[in-house]
Amino acid sequence: MSLFSRTAFIAGVSVLSLAGCATGAAPAPSPDAQPETIQLSNCGVAVSFDEAPERVITIKSSTTELLLALGLGDRIIGTAFHDGPVPDEWAAEASGLTSIAERVPSQEAVLDREPDFIFGGWESNFSADGAGERADLEALGIHTFVAPSACQSAEQPPKLSFDDVFSDIETVASIFRVDASALLTEQAAQLAAIDANGDSRTALWFSSGSDTPYVGAGIGAPQLLLDTVGLNNLAADIDATWAPYNWEAVVDADPDFIVLVDADWNSADKKIGILEANPATANLSAVKAGRYLVVPFAASEAGVRSVDAAASLSAQIAELDG
Amino acid sequence: MTKANEAANIPREQPPGALAASGLEARRVSVSVSGKLLIDSVDCTVERGTLSALVGPNGAGKSTLLRALAAVELPSAGSVHFGEHDVLTMPRKPRARLTAFVEQDATTDSQLTVEMVVKLGRLPHQSLWEADSKDSLSVVEDSLATVSMTAFRDREFHSLSGGEKQRVMLARALAQEPQLLTLDEPTNHLDIAAQLDVLAILSGLTEHGVTVLAALHDLSLAASYCDHVIVLSGGRVVAAGPTKDVLTEALIADVYGVRASIVANPVTGRPMIGFSPA
Amino acid sequence: MAKVSPLAFGAALAIALLVSVTVAVTIGPANIRFDEVWRSIASHVGFGVSPLTELRDGIVWQLRMPRVLTAAAVGAGLALSGAVMQAITRNPLADPYLLGLSSGAALGAVSVLLLGAAVLLPFAAFLGALLALALTLLLAGSLGAITPSRTVLAGIAVSALASAITSFVIFWSVTGDSYREVLSWLLGSLSGARWPAVAITMTAIIVIGIPVMLTGRLLDSFAFGDVQAASLGVNVSATRWGLLAASALVTGAMVSVSGAIGFVGLILPHAVRLIVGPSHRALLPLSALLGAVFLVWADTLARTVFDPREIPVGIVTAMIGAPLFAVLLTRRKSST
Repeated sequence: MSLFSRTAFIAGVSVLSLAGCATGAAPAPSPDAQPETIQLSNCGVAVSFDEAPERVITIKSSTTELLLALGLGDRIIGTAFHDGPVPDEWAAEASGLTSIAERVPSQEAVLDREPDFIFGGWESNFSADGAGERADLEALGIHTFVAPSACQSAEQPPKLSFDDVFSDIETVASIFRVDASALLTEQAAQLAAIDANGDSRTALWFSSGSDTPYVGAGIGAPQLLLDTVGLNNLAADIDATWAPYNWEAVVDADPDFIVLVDADWNSADKKIGILEANPATANLSAVKAGRYLVVPFAASEAGVRSVDAAASLSAQIAELDG
Repeated sequence: MTKANEAANIPREQPPGALAASGLEARRVSVSVSGKLLIDSVDCTVERGTLSALVGPNGAGKSTLLRALAAVELPSAGSVHFGEHDVLTMPRKPRARLTAFVEQDATTDSQLTVEMVVKLGRLPHQSLWEADSKDSLSVVEDSLATVSMTAFRDREFHSLSGGEKQRVMLARALAQEPQLLTLDEPTNHLDIAAQLDVLAILSGLTEHGVTVLAALHDLSLAASYCDHVIVLSGGRVVAAGPTKDVLTEALIADVYGVRASIVANPVTGRPMIGFSPA
Repeated sequence: MAKVSPLAFGAALAIALLVSVTVAVTIGPANIRFDEVWRSIASHVGFGVSPLTELRDGIVWQLRMPRVLTAAAVGAGLALSGAVMQAITRNPLADPYLLGLSSGAALGAVSVLLLGAAVLLPFAAFLGALLALALTLLLAGSLGAITPSRTVLAGIAVSALASAITSFVIFWSVTGDSYREVLSWLLGSLSGARWPAVAITMTAIIVIGIPVMLTGRLLDSFAFGDVQAASLGVNVSATRWGLLAASALVTGAMVSVSGAIGFVGLILPHAVRLIVGPSHRALLPLSALLGAVFLVWADTLARTVFDPREIPVGIVTAMIGAPLFAVLLTRRKSST
C-alpha cells in the first residue's frame, strides 16, 4: 500500500493498540475512617466516589473476577471482553452474568444499561470508539476506574510487585465500602506458601508471535510471576511490560523453561507448534524435553488471580522436576 | 481534381514489386479508428532515392498516413511495399532496419544524453545483451556528424532547443541505416535557418540512395526542396507527382482555399509560393 | 559529479554484496565469532565440521544464513521491479506495488494471520497479489484500451479497496496482541525468513529476475513513447505486458515472504540513476545489486539496533532511505 495510507492505517491501529498490562499504583485511601467521599487518582485522572457503586459494568476478565472475589457479583449488571474460562470457585456466579459485548463495548451498549460505574481492565477500554472517554462518562454521572496495575499513560508502576496487586484489591474494596481483609489475608498466605523452586533457572515468557516472539519483559506481571517462583526471565533487562524479542537470543540462551500463555485465540498448543516448526528453536532443550509451563491468559495479567498463577507455575515446575 | 494515377503515370494494374528498383508503393491503404475512416483507400508511390513531400491542410490525415506507411500503426486495409519487401507483414526488426520514422515533437522525461538517444537507433541491429560494436559506434558517430550535432553528444537531450532536438531525432533515425525515411512535420517549431538545415540534410540523404518522405506544412519549402509531392485532403490523395506539375495555383486554391502565385526564387531558381486570401 | 562508469559501479556493488553477506551473517544478538560462523557454514556445504553446539549452529544455519540470503534476494527483486515499473509507466514515482500488488498481498496475508493459519501465509499473500493485479487489469481494460496511466489509476482504486477491506478485517477480528503480527507484516519484516523463503525468492530472481535484467535496451526504447519504440522494431505491447507480468511475479514472490517492505523499489533506482545515468541497460542490474546490499544492511540493523528487541525492517528502510535520497539529490544539483 502507499506510504500515506499505510501511515494512516498504523496510526489507526495504534489508537486501538492493546498493549499488555502495565501496573499503576493508586494511592490508597486512608484505611481507618470510612470517609463520606473517596477521592483517588487513577491513571492520572481524579475520581471520587460519594457512595458505593450499585450498577457496575466490567470490561476484561480481571475486573470481573476481582469483583466476584470480593463478593460483589450481584452488583455487576454487565460484562464485556471475556478473556478466558473463569476459575471454578466463581464459575457458577459468572455464568449468570450478562455479557454485553465480546470485545470492547461501544458507548451506546454501555449507556443502554444505565450503569453508575465502569471498571476497565485496560486503560484503552475507555476511548471514543470504546466505552467512551472517561471525562464524558463522568459528566453523565458514570464513574470510571482502570485497574491501577494496568495504567500506562500515568502512574505506571516502575516494576510490578505484589504490593501493587494487593493495593489494587484494597482500593477497589474501599470504593465499594467492603472489607477485603479476608481475601487479602488468604492471598498473602497463599503467596507465602509458594515454593520458589525455580532455583534461579532461566525461562522465556512466550506470549504470542511466530516470526518475532512477543514476550513478557522486565517490569510487568510476567516478570513478577517469574520472580516469585525464582525463575530468571530472559527478557528481564527490557524496560517494558511485554516486548518484541528475537529467536536468536532465545536459542543462544537456551532457557530451562518456556512459559506459554494459553488464550483462545493463541493457544499453548499453537505456540508449541511454532517452536517445533522453527528449525532453530526445535533444538532448544526445553522444547525437546517438553519443559513447558502453561498460564491461562486471564491469569497472566495483574489481578486477583496472580497469586494463583504463581502457585500454579511452582506446581508445574515441581511436576516437571518430578 | 486531378486523378492521382493519371498524374503519376502508373497503370492501375501494375502488380506490387514489379518495379524492383522502385521505392515505396502503397495500395488501397485505409485507416479506421473507432469506426471513423481517417484514410480512405490511398494509393501512393515514392520513387527510390527521391525526396517527396506529403502536404495537405490540417486534419487531412498526414500523420495517420505516415504512421501507416511506416507500419508503426498498422492500417486497417491495404498493402505497403518497399522494393521487394512487404512492409506491413515483415518481422519487426528487419523492418526497423529498412525504414525509420521520425515523429513530430519528440518529448521525453528521461535524462538520456544525445549520444544515448542516437544509440537507440542501433537497436534493430543489435541483440538485447550484446555490447555496442565498433561498427555500431561508428554509425552513431556518422549520424551525429551528418546532422552536425557531434559537439552535443554528452548534453542531455531535454536541455536542447527545438531545432537541436529535431536534428538529434533525425540522427537517431539515420543510425538505423534505413533505406526509407519517413518524417512527420520535421520542420515544426523550427526557425528558418533550422528548417533549411533539416531539408538540406534530407536532400543530401537522397544522394546516398535513401528514399525520404516528409509531411510538410510549408508549401514553399516543399516546392523548394522536394521533387515530388503527394497532396492529401480529407483522407484521400487528391494529387501526386512532380512538384512542378502538381502544385499549381489551381490545386492550391482548390485544396487550401487560398490564392497562390508561384514564382521562381531569385536566388535558387526553385519555385516559391506567395499566398493571399481567396 | 561526473557519472560513474556502470561497469565500475557494478563491480563495486558485487564486491560490496559479497562482503555484506559475509559480514552480516556474523552479526547478531548471540555472540559467535567470525571464524566460528564461517566454519559452521562451511560444514553445511560439505567442508569440515561445525565447531558449534547443535543449538548455536542452528542460530547460524537456520536463522541467520537464510535471513541474510533472503534479504539480498528480496532487496534485489524489489529494486528491479521498481525500476521496471518506473520505465513501463514512465512515472518516476512508480514502485513495485503500484498495481494493487501489495494491498492484495496484505489482504491475503492478514486474513490468514487472523484465521490463525500462518503456515499458509506465503501462498495467501501471493494469491492476494495476483488477484489484485487481475482486478486492476480488468478495471483498466473496462475503461477502453489499456494504457499505462489507466493501469496506474486502476491500481490505485484496487489498492484502496483492498486496504479498506484489510482494515475492516483487522478491526473486526484482531484480538489480544495479534495486531502486532499483522502490523509487522504490513510494515515488512524478514524475521520469518527460513530456507523455504530463500528458495522462493532466489528462484524468482534467477528464473525471472535475471532475464528481466537483460531487457534494459528495450526499456530505453520506450523513452520517447510507444510510437517511437515501435519504429525501432520493438514489440511494444508484448514487451510492456511481458515486463509487467514479470515484475508482478517477482514482487508477488517477495511480498509473500517478507510483507510489503517499502521504499526499496521506489528510491533505489533513482539513486542508481543519479550515479550512473539513465540507461536501463545498466540501471536494471545495478538496481538489483544495490537493492540486495541495501536490504542486507537494513535488516541487520533491524535485528540489532535495539538488541534484543527486533523491529520490522520496513521501518528501517523508510527511515534510512529518505534522507539518503535527499543527500544524493542535493549532491547532484550542486554539481550541475
